[in-house]
Amino acid sequence: MDFDLMIDITPLLVKAAWVTVDISARALFFGFIIASALVAMRTSRIPPVRWFARAYISVVRGTPYFVQLLLVFYGGPAVGLRLDPFTCGVVVGAFNIGAYMSEAIRGAIESVDSGQNEASRSLGFGRLQTLQHIILPQAAGLMIRSVGVLAIILVKNSSLVSIISVIELTYQAQRLIGSTYKPLEVFTLSALMYIVIIYAVMGIVEFLYRRATRYAFL
Amino acid sequence: MEFDFSPVIDYLPTLLQGVGVTLLIGLAVAVMSVVGGQIVAVITLYTRKMVNWPLRFFIWLFMTTPLLLQLYFLYFGLGELILIPAIVVGVLGLGFHYMAYNADIFIATIKSVSSGQYEASRSLGFGHLRTLFYVILPQAFYRALPQLSNNMIIMVKDISVLSAIGIGEMVYVSQYAISVTFRPFEFYITIAVIYYLINLMMEAGQTWIERRAAYRR
Amino acid sequence: MVELKGVKKRFGDLEVLKGIDLRVDRGRIISIIGPSGSGKSTLLRSINNLEVIDEGIILLDGVQVNRPDLKGLAFERHINHIRQNMGMVFQHFNLFPHLSTLENVTLAPRKLKGMSAGSARKLGMELLDRVGLADKATSYPSSLSGGQKQRVAIARALAMQPKVMLFDEATSALDPELVEEVNRVMKGLAEEHMTMLIVTHEMAFARDVSDWAMFMDGGVVVEANTPDHLFSHPEQERTQHFLRKHLGAHA
Repeated sequence: MDFDLMIDITPLLVKAAWVTVDISARALFFGFIIASALVAMRTSRIPPVRWFARAYISVVRGTPYFVQLLLVFYGGPAVGLRLDPFTCGVVVGAFNIGAYMSEAIRGAIESVDSGQNEASRSLGFGRLQTLQHIILPQAAGLMIRSVGVLAIILVKNSSLVSIISVIELTYQAQRLIGSTYKPLEVFTLSALMYIVIIYAVMGIVEFLYRRATRYAFL
Repeated sequence: MEFDFSPVIDYLPTLLQGVGVTLLIGLAVAVMSVVGGQIVAVITLYTRKMVNWPLRFFIWLFMTTPLLLQLYFLYFGLGELILIPAIVVGVLGLGFHYMAYNADIFIATIKSVSSGQYEASRSLGFGHLRTLFYVILPQAFYRALPQLSNNMIIMVKDISVLSAIGIGEMVYVSQYAISVTFRPFEFYITIAVIYYLINLMMEAGQTWIERRAAYRR
Repeated sequence: MVELKGVKKRFGDLEVLKGIDLRVDRGRIISIIGPSGSGKSTLLRSINNLEVIDEGIILLDGVQVNRPDLKGLAFERHINHIRQNMGMVFQHFNLFPHLSTLENVTLAPRKLKGMSAGSARKLGMELLDRVGLADKATSYPSSLSGGQKQRVAIARALAMQPKVMLFDEATSALDPELVEEVNRVMKGLAEEHMTMLIVTHEMAFARDVSDWAMFMDGGVVVEANTPDHLFSHPEQERTQHFLRKHLGAHA
């Protein structure tokens, strides 16, 4: 192992790792909004709205994220959609993870015993009030855990935007392997950074999970 | 804007060849990762910690780093040591990646087979190994099927990533066609549709396998 | 046939078997009753070496079952051979869920005795017929009731033509209305003079089917006698106390 080299390339990789975090965090934020909208659409009273949400989720989950990325970045201009690489990474990442996340959120909501809904409605709460005060607080724990799993997938998926030349961790690693011919050193460092990011995400998820399920420990 | 799918028609034979490569890689990786995952899980569970820690480490490493990074490392790392074709690197890379994920599942399902099953088999006179082969592993396999088939569905989509190291699957052969025809949208849409169809078929297969396996659990 | 001499077993600091002596002759049917924690299940499991005893010896047809002198593979070979001559029936059935009913019965004869698929099938169907489940041969355990599962488990144990059958609370996990069908199969075996050791909490059944009954408590055999005597005129106070409590509930 060439430790001098590893020290030399660390600043470059840290900078690139920050881009990985940045792009993933933004995609997660917008992805959550998209997912919430999809969940709402799936329970809509208007059939075509429900159909659209279902079809969207099915198509996004049924095609590779990588192909979606290439389609939007290279094929987008043909339909008047010109995005810079970073924005493209955020947008496609958000629309992709949103589809998966909507299923996770729906699953968490459905995991709450139906008796809770009936009890709440029998007290006179409306549909939205029941969701807000009764269902969501109970679904929160499971929701946080499954969104956490998706956040980790998002971080790993973000490596694919290197293909459209976003200078994130994997892009930088590949370039450094090419220029230094030291794959082991570069891989060790960049893998370490992914591991740090992923463990940080896991830590945050666990913290939020404990807060959301405090009632279970009282 | 106007679409012109005639270049896609022109390149259809090339594209279909890419589909064939995708499916073959998928088959090879599925076999390698399921069989290998089971072997890794058995070794991990039935040997001492001192012996199996490298396996545990690699399962963990493959699961906490991105596939593309692993592929680059294998491609440039192995490529430096010995001359091997990219497609071998691709199958091995994808194979090891999903072997780790599958091993993780098998470890959990093998553990989940109750001790009563072990006792019943031993009380009939079966030894450790036969109990493992006739009783524990088949049950662990049926229990693993839902997650296992999920992994395989995700895996097939990941084959597209292999284009990054120059393997002639669907995306890679299209990239060549695109560089000549300048029709990225049409080609990528076509690939998306093909992938979607493959995915639909795999999901149907998953439902079918699930139904058949359900009463054996 | 089966003989135990001074059998002791400890779980950590707790001595669960405090020196058990027992002799089961060929064709005899012995019931073991007692409160939970009395050591009766441990005793039965020890005979099959599912629990390894700390002291004493266990013999099957004069061959020592527990062999502290044998290690590793040598002991493996020894115990696998011994176990093929004993049938064990568990409280929770432990049928193999991935195999059909018939396959559950034929797995051991095929793989351990090298029986051909054809004769194993014939044997399996005979045994399933004997427990009244020939029509369920292709069903999987998940589709059977508890009573049916336990009858298949008995057929599975019988398929190795064991010298002795060990029943560990075979009906304890069953709904009350399913107990009878299993009892009937066991009674049938008794009439054919199968050697049987039955751990049970079904007092009436124990009295009816066995020709020797033992009451265990606190890791020792408190009292052993013919069932009529033990159940009608128990001599020890602990036995009287136990029977008063349980006959009331089960009679």
